Amino acid sequence: MDDHLIGIVSNIGVISFVALSAYLLLLTGEISFGQQAFFAIGAYTSGIVTAMWQLPFALGLGAGAATGAAAALLVGLPTLRLHGLQFAIATLAFAEAVRILFELFRYQIVRDGELVGPNGIEGFRNIRYIFENDVSATEFMLIIYGLLGATLFGLFLLERSRLGTAFRMIGEDDLLAATQGVAVVPVKLTAACLAGTIAGLGGGLYAHLTTYVEPAIFDVMLGVHSLAYGLIGGLGTAFGPLLGVVIDIGLLESTRWFAGYRMIVFGGLVAVLLIVRPRGLLDEQLVHRIRRAVRRRPRPSPANDTVLGKELS
Amino acid sequence: MIPFIQTTLDGLMVGSSYGLLALGFALIFGVMRRLNLSYGPSIMIGAYLGTLLYIKFGPPTYVVAIVAVAGSVMAGIYVERLCFAPLGVGAGVASMVSSFAIWMQLEQASLLMLPRHSYPFPSLTGGELWSLGPFVVRPDYLIMLAAMLAMSAALTLLLYRTRFGLGLRAIVENSLAASLSGIDVERTMLKAFALASAIGGVAGFLVLSANQQVTAMLGMWATLKGLIAMMIGGLGSIPGAIVGGLALGVIEAHSQNLFGPQVRDLAAYAVLFVLLVLRPGGILGTTAVRRGMGQRGGDRWTTT
Amino acid sequence: MEAMLEIADVVTAYGKIEALKGVSLSAAKGRITCLLGPNGAGKTTLMMSIAGALKPRQGSIRLEGSELVGLSPARIVGNGVALVPENRLVFPQMSVRENLLAGAYQRNDSGEVTADIERMYARFPRLKERREQLAGTLSGGEQQMLAVARALMSRPRLLLMDEPSLGLAPIVVKEIFGIIAELNREGVTIFLVEQNAHLALQVAHHFYLMEQGRVTFSGNPGELAEDEVIKRAYLGTRRSAG
Repeated sequence: MDDHLIGIVSNIGVISFVALSAYLLLLTGEISFGQQAFFAIGAYTSGIVTAMWQLPFALGLGAGAATGAAAALLVGLPTLRLHGLQFAIATLAFAEAVRILFELFRYQIVRDGELVGPNGIEGFRNIRYIFENDVSATEFMLIIYGLLGATLFGLFLLERSRLGTAFRMIGEDDLLAATQGVAVVPVKLTAACLAGTIAGLGGGLYAHLTTYVEPAIFDVMLGVHSLAYGLIGGLGTAFGPLLGVVIDIGLLESTRWFAGYRMIVFGGLVAVLLIVRPRGLLDEQLVHRIRRAVRRRPRPSPANDTVLGKELS
Repeated sequence: MIPFIQTTLDGLMVGSSYGLLALGFALIFGVMRRLNLSYGPSIMIGAYLGTLLYIKFGPPTYVVAIVAVAGSVMAGIYVERLCFAPLGVGAGVASMVSSFAIWMQLEQASLLMLPRHSYPFPSLTGGELWSLGPFVVRPDYLIMLAAMLAMSAALTLLLYRTRFGLGLRAIVENSLAASLSGIDVERTMLKAFALASAIGGVAGFLVLSANQQVTAMLGMWATLKGLIAMMIGGLGSIPGAIVGGLALGVIEAHSQNLFGPQVRDLAAYAVLFVLLVLRPGGILGTTAVRRGMGQRGGDRWTTT
Repeated sequence: MEAMLEIADVVTAYGKIEALKGVSLSAAKGRITCLLGPNGAGKTTLMMSIAGALKPRQGSIRLEGSELVGLSPARIVGNGVALVPENRLVFPQMSVRENLLAGAYQRNDSGEVTADIERMYARFPRLKERREQLAGTLSGGEQQMLAVARALMSRPRLLLMDEPSLGLAPIVVKEIFGIIAELNREGVTIFLVEQNAHLALQVAHHFYLMEQGRVTFSGNPGELAEDEVIKRAYLGTRRSAG
């Protein structure tokens, strides 16, 4: 693989984390315009841990994920009783506030005769851990995909668990879920925290991949994009958001097809796609059919599908 | 005291532009219970067409205004046909994401028309200032304030005194019952969308002529400010849009005056966040929404 | 007998599930035709298909010879068919008067519309008392009357009624059926869905029974009362609600 390709593939991997984060909340029926905030918090935190405090990379990533989770918990407590548009706009307000706070955030120390650390609107330069420790681009890409694979595996286990069923039940109808004995608020809070963790972890990887972050990267555009990825790729499986990222970054941003008209082509494609498949390419029905085909024998619908039975009728 | 009042006045003036934007937003959201992210970019298309004409041929300002509004309406109809009409009831998220995709499209189309970051835009008043005793006001913004009040009055009359308004309100309450009563739901929705885009077009034109320039940030700016003002005031309500717009303007003016431009935006978002948490229905709350444009019981515009 | 409504071989499906599996029936002009059947038989689906809110997959629905399938609900109202939907579906945040105006949405004779509203008030005095009240604040019976009045505001040739007695107190049901008979005497053709066969027997001229998406019986009131199966299921031990 040449460097250019490695760069693109790594970028796809890292952005997939925000997309998965938004997807997880979509499962519970909530739209968040604000997952980029946890991505930003993870990026800054892990950068501070490795580049400024010179602690190991793993610790940086862990700290990024942990602060992402903590921030999600903090925002989730007041906002999760909101619904629909109110929740979406509350997360938007939070994320934009976070972005502006990073514009105001200055915390720099001298390292090797150089100022290092977040410098307001200028951003946070020289998060050079992987260069200083001779991690090659290929190795770092493998690290990204290792963690992405682990995250996906975790999500698959989750979707098969009672908790995952509870997520989808709430997403279908939270009142009905409550009457079935699902503790709606704690379950939603769990989903928000997991989403924050995933975004925070992705942020840590992103900061070390690019070695440089600035507040402007984490604007509403990133938030709406990560939401769109799930819807383009499909809400039936965690592979859906990944497919969305691959289509956008892999096919369109990275190749120079349609230069100058890329957004016109992409925007039109997405709009038409959503008319044909309003729940994305890999929607629940297709996933259900694939699963049955893989098992080769018809089986009574698992719990998940009865929850979604409404869709089929 | 005088500076404080002056700042408040400034806020109200700018707030009237937010109120105008929120009016169009509230109309769409009130009727469809869907979020049209392409609202701002539709305005941008109109504004850019007007600007293109202005730079190339220098026509009278009213021609620019007509083109701006017409362009915005055309873009609005395009968005409705592509992102809203073909997606059934209950596809709220898909509509929203689709309108975001079209946002990208409209923005790039605008930038293909006029690639630089900013261009001049004709002014209505020459940008002069008026003194009122110790205070200074800009006639540009007085026009905007008047336009906002006139449009909200006209919109209220339209909703409560015309057959079109009756049909629209019936659709908001129950679109099945509306269609069984002989109301053409699809056509009425399209008309409402076109009307909202026209209001947006007027708002865009007035804002740009007050600024005497148009920038590439217009689309995002108009969507965000209109959305925030609508949320602050109260979902889908006409008085809410005005109150929300003016409140946002005043909050921004004072926080900018006290702490500078970055804190201005921070304060607006913080107020929005706290307000949503404490009073999700907005300042004018649910009753205003019900009186204004009706709101269905459960606000399930989200998934499925 | 001249037919007002002729339905031939109508199939309506939700996704893959066919709710109507080839329904054929007709409603005579100037008469009351009643459709009986258990829950889930497809009665409401048929009503919605006639009104255009659901699109049949095949078959034809003709109103005095002109095809309705493929027209929008609004156009069907314009052609002279009005449906009083199941559960009434009034506009709760609009006044009684505005609900009536909504029923006349397609009409361009505003003077006559105003006169018709007065006629509705004369027929339903309680609606007159509550004319400026929001429809959501009315009782169930009053809402049913409003739904009937709203449908009549379009001056229909054919009035479709989907279970007008649903969820109402017996005395109110009696009143509603009195109004149905009265409307019919004035010349309105009525096609009625009802589960309460006893009540329907008092007003209707012809009956159909629908089960699992198919018409399984057609006959006049005498034949209905003699059919053993129907007697057991719909008339026998079941107590009249009226």
